Amino acid sequence: MFGGAFMMGAKDRLLPPAIPFRFFATAIVYHLVAWGVLLGAADGLPGYQGGLGPVLAALHLITLGVLAMTAMGAAYQMLPVATRRQLGPAWACSLSWWLFAPGVALLSFGLADGAPWALHGGATLAIAGLALFGGLVAGNLMRVGDLPAVTAPVWVALASLLAVLVLAGLLIADVGQGFLPDRASLAAAHGVLAGYGFMGMLVMGFSAVLVPMFVLAPAIPDAQAKPVAAIAAMALLSGAVGALSGWSWLAGAGAVLGLVAALLYLRLQRRVLAARMRKRLEPFFRLLKGGWVMLPLSLLAAGLLALGLWPEVSAPLWGLLLVVGWLLSFATGILQRIMPFLASMHSAARGGKPVLLSQLTPPPVLTLHAGAHGAALALLLASVVLDSPLIARLGALCGLAGALAFAVFAIIMMVRYRAHHRSQ
Amino acid sequence: MLLQSETGSLLHQDHMTTIETLQGLEELLSRHRQPPAVDEALRERLRALAATLRAEVESHFAFEEGHLFPLFVSKGESGIVMMLTHEHRSILPMALRVAELAGQAAESGFDEQNWRDFRDTGTELVEREIFHIQKEEMGLLAAISALLDETEDAGLAEIYRRTVK
Repeated sequence: MFGGAFMMGAKDRLLPPAIPFRFFATAIVYHLVAWGVLLGAADGLPGYQGGLGPVLAALHLITLGVLAMTAMGAAYQMLPVATRRQLGPAWACSLSWWLFAPGVALLSFGLADGAPWALHGGATLAIAGLALFGGLVAGNLMRVGDLPAVTAPVWVALASLLAVLVLAGLLIADVGQGFLPDRASLAAAHGVLAGYGFMGMLVMGFSAVLVPMFVLAPAIPDAQAKPVAAIAAMALLSGAVGALSGWSWLAGAGAVLGLVAALLYLRLQRRVLAARMRKRLEPFFRLLKGGWVMLPLSLLAAGLLALGLWPEVSAPLWGLLLVVGWLLSFATGILQRIMPFLASMHSAARGGKPVLLSQLTPPPVLTLHAGAHGAALALLLASVVLDSPLIARLGALCGLAGALAFAVFAIIMMVRYRAHHRSQ
Repeated sequence: MLLQSETGSLLHQDHMTTIETLQGLEELLSRHRQPPAVDEALRERLRALAATLRAEVESHFAFEEGHLFPLFVSKGESGIVMMLTHEHRSILPMALRVAELAGQAAESGFDEQNWRDFRDTGTELVEREIFHIQKEEMGLLAAISALLDETEDAGLAEIYRRTVK
């Protein structure tokens, strides 16, 4: 539904390549910055329970700078193709980048430093960028009635985004004012809705299109996809309300429901892989599979946290499994595949042969990234369990090495793409 | 992939056969650094490879370009037609070359030179053709369902059965 349809009615639905690639390039830069900031603040990771400072800044550099940035670029390119409906004017997509990209930088500085001007300015820009993105996606989905495997989870993601932005605004406004009665509960609900709601449900929707396309498998049947989205929505509601109200049983029920939804989602993905025509799985699947393993583990950690068990361990463990283990693994896996895919599609614009994906992709660099990413996650998890700042520093160093490898991959890809373009 | 149309189902079956053949070729190429000895089993495999590649090139591509694509163009969808036709032009000589080399090797075996030629051309063919089939499976088949009415679909399927299978 992606490749061929990619060119269907191109003038109406295909964005200029500069738009998605701008988001992807920014995500790669923030990926580096995030690990760099975490390396400087790694001592504070074991036992982290929230609060302003560089750990929170590193977290938002990943969640907003890498995950949301990648999701925005991918959604702008993919949704109009998958839904065969137009998505917003190109200038509006560009505007969301101009609001969001500097907003993330300013907000992250504010989260690290506590400077109110940076917090308020950055949050305003980032919220405006995400709200514009949400509006554009909603406008696209409102014209679609025939693709529930994609649209149902993406609608849940948009509803979650709305709640995330409201909660984020309250949390930022509360800094220095202290009007919130229970800031920690609000932050927990914000985390649940941002991680599993906004990003997680986007992952579910995009998986329904991308995974079958890459392995040449039948699409996920709508009748099987809709109940999973519905259970996930109930889990999100239960988890977020439980966190906000302090009713641990409700938050725990949310984690259990979330686990059910996650296992059903994983079962659908496993069926897609089992029915694939393309037997050899490409290397980026090691990151997707790693992320799929981390998703249920993150929900188990969420359950422990909801029940108030070992919060000094379960809280950072949950954050790491959710953000680095599941979402960052999935996002970098997809990014390393769709960037060469799009570049190859655009490389034939002058009428020559499209450049081969294997010519654009340097496997050793991506193997290095995958290894360093996996090592970073393992070391960071160990640092939390063993309460070891030294292991946390080693983990962040591995993460930085992986981010550097990923940036080198992107640079090599662009150099090779341009060389091919010049030769046409 | 969406298989709501009869024509889409027929093209999908063709893709399945081609993918299986290409994966067999990929496995053969990755298993041998040096020219392999052509025994009876490999000879049969090379003949089948040559036959499938020629069928894909001569009948499948010809059906799409001669019957399916003109319908798309008449409905204003020239972008996808241009892209896929363009890819046919780059895949066609490669597939014929691999089929020719496979046919020659089935008769007189591989030497250093024709094995290298077979391996290099075959490797590129596998990547280009699988990427092409990905686009057709996910784009073209969905587009057939979206653009053609039942009568057009049935008419195309009938032409397919007469000219391809």
